Amino acid sequence: MATPVLDNPLRAGLRIGRTPEPCTMVIFGASGDLTSRKLVPALYNLARERRLPGGFSVVGFARRDWSDDYFRDLLREAVNANSRSGPVDPELWASFAQGIQYHRGSFDEADAYTSLAERLAAIDAERGTGGNRVFYLATPPDAYPTIVAQLGAHGLAHSNGWTRIIIEKPFGHDLASAQALNAEVLSVFREDQVYRIDHYLGKETVQNILIFRFANGIFEPIWNRSHIDHVQITVAETIGVEDRGGYYDTSGALRDMIQNHLMQLLCLVAMEPPSLYDADAVRDEKVKVLRAVRPLSVNDTVRGQYGPGSANGLPVRGYREEKGVSPASQTETYVALKLFIDNWRWAGVPFYLRSGKRLPRRVSEIAIQFKAAPTMIFADTPLNDLDPNVLAIKIQPDEGISLKFSSKTPGQPQIRPVTMDFRYGASFGVTSPEAYERLLLDCMLGDGTLFTRRDEVETSWALLTPILQAWAEGPPQPFPNYEAGSWGPAAADEFIARDGRSWRRL
Amino acid sequence: MSEAAIDINAIERELRQMWQEQATHPDAGGQAVIRALTLNLIVRAPDDGWAEQALAVAPALTAQHPNRTVIVIDRPGPATELQANAQALCTLANAGRTQVCGEQVTISARGAPAGQLASLVLPLLVPDLPVVLWAPGPQPFAQPLVQRLYRLCDRLIVDSTTFADPLRELAELAAFEQTANGAPAVSDLGWTRLTSWRELTAQFFDTRPFLPHLHRIDEIVIEYAAGNRPNPVAALLFVGWLASCLKWTPLEDAVGIEGETIQIYLRRPAVGVGPAAIRLVSVAIRPVDRAGVEGLARLALRAVDNQQAEFVVELTSDAGHACTRATIAGAHPIERTATIDRPALADLLNSELRLLSRDRTFAAALHLAGGLARRLALP
Ligand SMILES: NC(=O)c1ccc[n+]([C@@H]2O[C@H](COP(=O)([O-])OP(=O)(O)OC[C@H]3O[C@@H](n4cnc5c(N)ncnc54)[C@H](OP(=O)(O)O)[C@@H]3O)[C@@H](O)[C@H]2O)c1
Repeated sequence: MATPVLDNPLRAGLRIGRTPEPCTMVIFGASGDLTSRKLVPALYNLARERRLPGGFSVVGFARRDWSDDYFRDLLREAVNANSRSGPVDPELWASFAQGIQYHRGSFDEADAYTSLAERLAAIDAERGTGGNRVFYLATPPDAYPTIVAQLGAHGLAHSNGWTRIIIEKPFGHDLASAQALNAEVLSVFREDQVYRIDHYLGKETVQNILIFRFANGIFEPIWNRSHIDHVQITVAETIGVEDRGGYYDTSGALRDMIQNHLMQLLCLVAMEPPSLYDADAVRDEKVKVLRAVRPLSVNDTVRGQYGPGSANGLPVRGYREEKGVSPASQTETYVALKLFIDNWRWAGVPFYLRSGKRLPRRVSEIAIQFKAAPTMIFADTPLNDLDPNVLAIKIQPDEGISLKFSSKTPGQPQIRPVTMDFRYGASFGVTSPEAYERLLLDCMLGDGTLFTRRDEVETSWALLTPILQAWAEGPPQPFPNYEAGSWGPAAADEFIARDGRSWRRL
Repeated sequence: MSEAAIDINAIERELRQMWQEQATHPDAGGQAVIRALTLNLIVRAPDDGWAEQALAVAPALTAQHPNRTVIVIDRPGPATELQANAQALCTLANAGRTQVCGEQVTISARGAPAGQLASLVLPLLVPDLPVVLWAPGPQPFAQPLVQRLYRLCDRLIVDSTTFADPLRELAELAAFEQTANGAPAVSDLGWTRLTSWRELTAQFFDTRPFLPHLHRIDEIVIEYAAGNRPNPVAALLFVGWLASCLKWTPLEDAVGIEGETIQIYLRRPAVGVGPAAIRLVSVAIRPVDRAGVEGLARLALRAVDNQQAEFVVELTSDAGHACTRATIAGAHPIERTATIDRPALADLLNSELRLLSRDRTFAAALHLAGGLARRLALP
């Protein structure tokens, strides 16, 4: 049940949105990397921008033997190091830190939850948080079921206020495990209490896809098979596996990137206009896209794994030499695939998705390539010399939208492609909030639009699990097959060339 | 220079040339220079000081609202004097980012009739873009140039903190806003400065258990920083805002000044009794000595009937933050420190330029505050 919007008569006409009701956020895995690098800096910045109510509190849950003061100092350092607003403002921090506590315990230890319940009740009384809670699972994924079960067993899944739970990625590693996890979570919480994070959805430029499509009248009429030749979605990373080698080797690019981030982008470009901008209306349309995707075959995929090479001019090791990775690893660090959406809007339009590590540039973009002009009336320029119109939605780093079209070269009879660029950063001089800021705030406000629903996660896994199985059962690949610092395996270029198309040069 | 020396076409040519130079300038570093103007801003500057301020905020305005600014320095004088010059201005390009550029034209005049000035300004406006007129300084509505231009504008921006006779001019502002009825939309930077105070006040009542107290407020005390020329406009607008949101109506003959304190009584609907019952809210607005602070310094909302509750927002002693405190009888007070913007002129303007139409919340607050000011300004 979503919290009813409070009828605060002073809200009308205020230029920032509503603040959530006071609540306590319990972070499981509070001594970990995510908490320091993303979560607490995001919460602090929300406080700094007056988006959090007085009384807002944080309880960090982890095993280490830390005191409240030690924990606060550590978080302060973490914010100093990671916040987009720079080092903390001491007075603001002092007030924010009053609401932070550390709760020591192991996830499987029942007593730790009994004392957690007492602690939360005490905070309710002292800080006016009225039983409102967010449980944030920033833990290794195998701890999710334990924590959920313990919360249920200790009556913490419901309160006299509202209770919500945020679950980090990865949500399962195939269809069966995602279904099992959903079943466990939903045996304790209702679906509307569950917020599955895909931090891509928290990025402003990703949200802008919907605004661009549905707040402008001129694009929607051509957003279909009559006018679009194909769509390319690219998420390229320059980094390797860093120190997540051990985890990554059990996962791979399809699970780590395609199943969540690229599928989300696919849904947003391909979905039908929702009848209203509301959590379920939007997610219903996204699920419809996933359901319409034609079952994938392994022949529509290309895998790669990087070997030694260079990044930023420095030599880097190959994937199999990374820490925590098996020297004979068959895990893919690159995937390209083609899919079709069998509905009236998209029938016959291929969507090419690719994502990889150790590629030459960090870039995420969606490119809509339109069909060529039907006939060429300018005698000197053969039709196939013309670049097609491309609308590129750039998600990072240089957020913006560009449109490529043909124009006459001054003084000559030639036609040349020119690009019309809209850059987010240049047109709006304010810095965008971090994805986690938006997502944490939305969760506290009870808005699930930017979180993934159960059926979304499962439908996406249902599409990709057969590929994972076929790969696992198939012959071993001749890995590594691309050099670190290149645009992926040659097979990926051949793959798209077979359709008479090519990857965008980014 | 004689008036014939101003050639609009020459100014346009000059601007076009500047764009071309920008595009080929070595400092552009291969980065495209983008001309993406989003509005026309006419500044009616009463003197050189305001013209300088307008030029000083131009880079910050350009960064968010690339615009063509036409600054008219409209000085009084017996002899007519007129000259004009143009420049293009680009915001500092961050490494790897596109530059954003805007344009400025300055028309420096003395003793020129409004009609003549208007005939220079109008052809300089970029077609099909909104026109905003910013008229800082006292008595904006008495200026012939403003009277001449406002009908052609989408928005008129004034600043009540620069009023010379605050109560009287506030009443004029309210009357103007009502007659204009959105054409043009009216902005007051004095109101914009209240945004943080309104936000912090409203936020108390996003908390469900606090909301009922909002309908039982009996007493409001507002303190504002005053130097030698107290300007209670911000406080009156704040009261106007609360009253219009909460459907309170002023008791017309119970508005007065006692010493330096403005005392106001408003009727509010009573809660939980018969429909005809009303209660009174008493409001005291008083100046306090706070060096280095402009505008509000502290406000307290109190409910005394039934359950006692108090909501306070006040500047901390260094004035860098605000402390908010909610005290409900029988519970721990809930306190926090929050940032409070002391926005620069450019931030205030940017925030008004972002609005596309009439700010109805402001209009309602202004209407009420204007009525109060009219009573208070009576001899
Ligand atoms: N880091 C990122 O940038 C990032 C990005 C996206 C998603 N994620 C996801 O976020 C989650 C957390 O990531 P992370 O990088 O923060 O992990 P991490 O650094 O490994 O932290 C895990 C935390 O869990 C605690 N923990 C583990 N087992 C426990 C137990 N039995 N009882 C109590 N505490 C226990 C650890 O605390 P003690 O050592 O004190 O026991 C530690 O604080 C993962 O699901 C990850 O996939 C992370």
